[in-house]
Amino acid sequence: MNYPALFVQLLPEGLLVITALLLLGVAVATEAKTKRPLAIDVTVAISALGIAVACAALYYCPFRPESGTSLLVMDPLARVFKAVVLMLGLLAVLMPPARHEIAQPGEFHALLLFALTGLLLAVGTDHLLFLFVALELASLSLYLLAGFSRTAKAAEASLKYFLFGGVSAAFFLFGLSLLYGFCHTLTLPAMAAALDAGPLPPFAVAGLLMVVVGLGFKLAAAPFHYWAPDVYQGAPATSVGLIAAASKAAGVVVVVRLLLVGFEAAAGSAVWGGMKPGWALWLGVLSAVSMVFGNVLALAQTSVRRLLAYSAVANTGYVLVALAANGATSAAAALFYVVVYGLATFGALAITAAVERDRGDDSMHSFAGLVHRSPLQAVALLVFLTSLAGVPPLAGFVGKFAMFGAAMAESTSQGIPGLTWLVGLAAIMSAISLYYYLMVLKQAFVREAADSAPVAMPASHRLAVLVPAVLLVALGLFPAVLLSPLTQALLATLRGL
Amino acid sequence: MTPAWTLISAFAGALLVLLLPARFAGWARLIALAASIIGAVAAAAACLTKLQHPDAAVWSFDREWIHDLGIRFHLAANGLSLTLLLLTGLVAIAGVLFSWNITLRPRAFFAFFMTIIGGVYGVFLSRDAFLLFLFYETVILPKYMLIAVWGSTNREYGAMKLTLYSIGSSALILIGLVVAYAAAGGTSFDLDYLASFKYAPSLQSWAFPILFLGFAVLAGIWPFHTWAPTGHVAAPTAASMLLAGVVMKLGAYGALCVAMPIFPQGFVEWRLVIAGLAVVGIIYGALTALTQKDLKFVIGYSSVSHMGFILLGMATATHWGLRGAMLQMISHGIVAGLLFGIAGRVVYERTHTRDLTELQAFDLWRTLPGAAIAFTLATAASMGLPGFSGFVAEIFVGIGVWQSDPWLILPVAVGIIVTGAFSLRAMHRAFFPVRKPTAEAATMLPPLTWPEISAIALLITFSAAIGLYPMPWVTLIDDGLRSPLFHSILSLP
Repeated sequence: MNYPALFVQLLPEGLLVITALLLLGVAVATEAKTKRPLAIDVTVAISALGIAVACAALYYCPFRPESGTSLLVMDPLARVFKAVVLMLGLLAVLMPPARHEIAQPGEFHALLLFALTGLLLAVGTDHLLFLFVALELASLSLYLLAGFSRTAKAAEASLKYFLFGGVSAAFFLFGLSLLYGFCHTLTLPAMAAALDAGPLPPFAVAGLLMVVVGLGFKLAAAPFHYWAPDVYQGAPATSVGLIAAASKAAGVVVVVRLLLVGFEAAAGSAVWGGMKPGWALWLGVLSAVSMVFGNVLALAQTSVRRLLAYSAVANTGYVLVALAANGATSAAAALFYVVVYGLATFGALAITAAVERDRGDDSMHSFAGLVHRSPLQAVALLVFLTSLAGVPPLAGFVGKFAMFGAAMAESTSQGIPGLTWLVGLAAIMSAISLYYYLMVLKQAFVREAADSAPVAMPASHRLAVLVPAVLLVALGLFPAVLLSPLTQALLATLRGL
Repeated sequence: MTPAWTLISAFAGALLVLLLPARFAGWARLIALAASIIGAVAAAAACLTKLQHPDAAVWSFDREWIHDLGIRFHLAANGLSLTLLLLTGLVAIAGVLFSWNITLRPRAFFAFFMTIIGGVYGVFLSRDAFLLFLFYETVILPKYMLIAVWGSTNREYGAMKLTLYSIGSSALILIGLVVAYAAAGGTSFDLDYLASFKYAPSLQSWAFPILFLGFAVLAGIWPFHTWAPTGHVAAPTAASMLLAGVVMKLGAYGALCVAMPIFPQGFVEWRLVIAGLAVVGIIYGALTALTQKDLKFVIGYSSVSHMGFILLGMATATHWGLRGAMLQMISHGIVAGLLFGIAGRVVYERTHTRDLTELQAFDLWRTLPGAAIAFTLATAASMGLPGFSGFVAEIFVGIGVWQSDPWLILPVAVGIIVTGAFSLRAMHRAFFPVRKPTAEAATMLPPLTWPEISAIALLITFSAAIGLYPMPWVTLIDDGLRSPLFHSILSLP
């Protein structure tokens, strides 16, 4: 084993851990000396710097796919998504909680960096046990981050997240152990070969089903989504931003790697008239349930955070449409969409957080007259919500179109598209979703504000709003910039096995 | 000037207006007017060039865009789309002129206005299904904003209803296009390629109604028309003009140039159903307009009736029918814009009522003669009297119907008669009161301003020009209908 090369490959993760430890050290030292916790701006600066250096390390370090092992894969897919996770994490850091919300900013940001480390490791591994450990590192940090503000709601959020997450981890692990019992190996390429050999015995199918259920919990797919609304509402906005964007993007990569690459042989089919049991069919069902549940329940929400939670469930459904098609282009479109979705939902959360701080609650009425109070924030909100709704020329539109088009094309045989039932449902559900996004925009643009004082927003918070907004417009106009590398990366990963 | 300037001028105008500093907000309307004029002139120039050199290809722009899905940034125009570009340009100019007195957030208003115009130009120019759908969807949000913020009667309800119908129909279009794309191999969204692909008949018979209905909802097909009257009444004048004048044409254009060429066999199967719905729409719209109290609602329902002629013309699958449908699109675009402009701006801003009974008190024939003359001319055009564009269009559709399904001509004739009845009723009640007006109401109202007069003159001139000398328009439309897109439809029995 080539340890120096491995060390270089682990540099981004290593830098994150070093920054986190440094942060903890500085926090403890200053607190002992001044009897006051470290200023939040300092912790933001340190962690942002750490992430930026990790990004640079990822970009500048020599890229040698051959030096990887199954524990640490360094394929283009991993590289692209490590960058995506780091960027989404950086955005979360730039939108820190307010001073009165958290008592120990040093610990908060250290945990955030640990969560990012876990996500980075999960994105780039072919070894199931290592994957589990990486996901647990991320999850345990996220449970704590969700409850960090120590309010009753945050505690509820954290507990629910932890209990659901714990159960899902148990499912995931038990499913993996059953699959291990069948394949006698824990690395994906070897498992793929073993699964190719013949039909699966029932216990292996049960294992696969459990893995899908576990992943469904992580992605907040209905009916495993019950933690999402409370976490989105109760947790600090920074934590929600991380859970909604970075963690979801990594989760989708894990699904792609695990199912499309590793367990391709057990896919089955979700095609109308030719359905075969397997993960593609299960994902198709999860997708349909998520889209219907998420969209219908979002219609009834008055809290914007809860609305975004149900929108997250619905959007998981759209992503699963593309994954259920079990093809390279549709999976690439799903990866594109999850990045775009992360940016949009993060931006919407960032503005919701600012409005909530200003008005004291996150109900739709708090947004009334935002266009008169803070025109730029209102325009940014317009960009985020309409991108989520899939309105051109924003990236959400291209993403959805690409997913649905590719899913349909991948499922076509002999001139008959097989996934019309699912894509049709997705298109109709996506149309319904415009209603609840418009309800928020109606408050912001049509209704009058009680007063015209602008909504306060610190400079770094503004950056966390501006960057996603600009990216959504740019990716909407030039989607190939991201979509083509993702397709190439995915094809390379598929070929590699 | 290539037709590209239509698109460029509209979007550049929108951007420029949006970036205008607050103290120059008054310039917004000037910029919008300039952008609209540039667009209209570019379209007119392209039309004239095409008439002089009928065999020369107009213009096209083709670049790779999203390689992985086979999507290209492909714009091009033929005679048919040129006529619609010109229509859009005219309605845009008139719309800006009729919104000359907007004072509430004028920059945002004109930015949304020009975005709609740009989206409409884009749809007419797109030769790639994805690009067409993108422009088509671009229009939806500005429509909502224009109605919800600047609208009148029941504006939030009308805006939401219209938006939900639009987005719902877009979902159907999305499904239809994606099915066509996938079934044709999943390699290209090029419209000509999709139209040349031979789809399995079983696929066509279920995919065609999805795609067609998606477009037809926006064209106000009965029974999915209810968004149109509510939306048009709630909208500010300029938005009503745009909605009835050009946005409904997007639906008709999509049905004609996307849905029908892609699934021609499906179209043949469903042809009579479409014709039936169109005829019901013609009569139902006219009868409903006959009972309305609000002048704008009369015009709104008359749009449903007139759009029925377009759908009927398409459903005949004859050369005359398609010609008539196209001419009716242009004619209705001009006339509906004119009617909404007079009712919503000229009359309403002075009398603050659109109720046909209350309007009688104003004795508009004496107090506002300019509007009465204009409305009379517009009514004549709307009823399809000879000398105006509607006459030519309806005759052409009639010939088409006679060629394909002669028995349908009877209900159409009934529809034309009812159209005359509701048009005359509305005109009479609003402008020529029967009972003596009360003395204090019948004071002279402010006369028409120059933006109003020029907008009215522009639209009436074009309607009369088409009615008196339709040949250039027919030539351009025929050029479009000769394209390979329509081979499989027009060669049908």
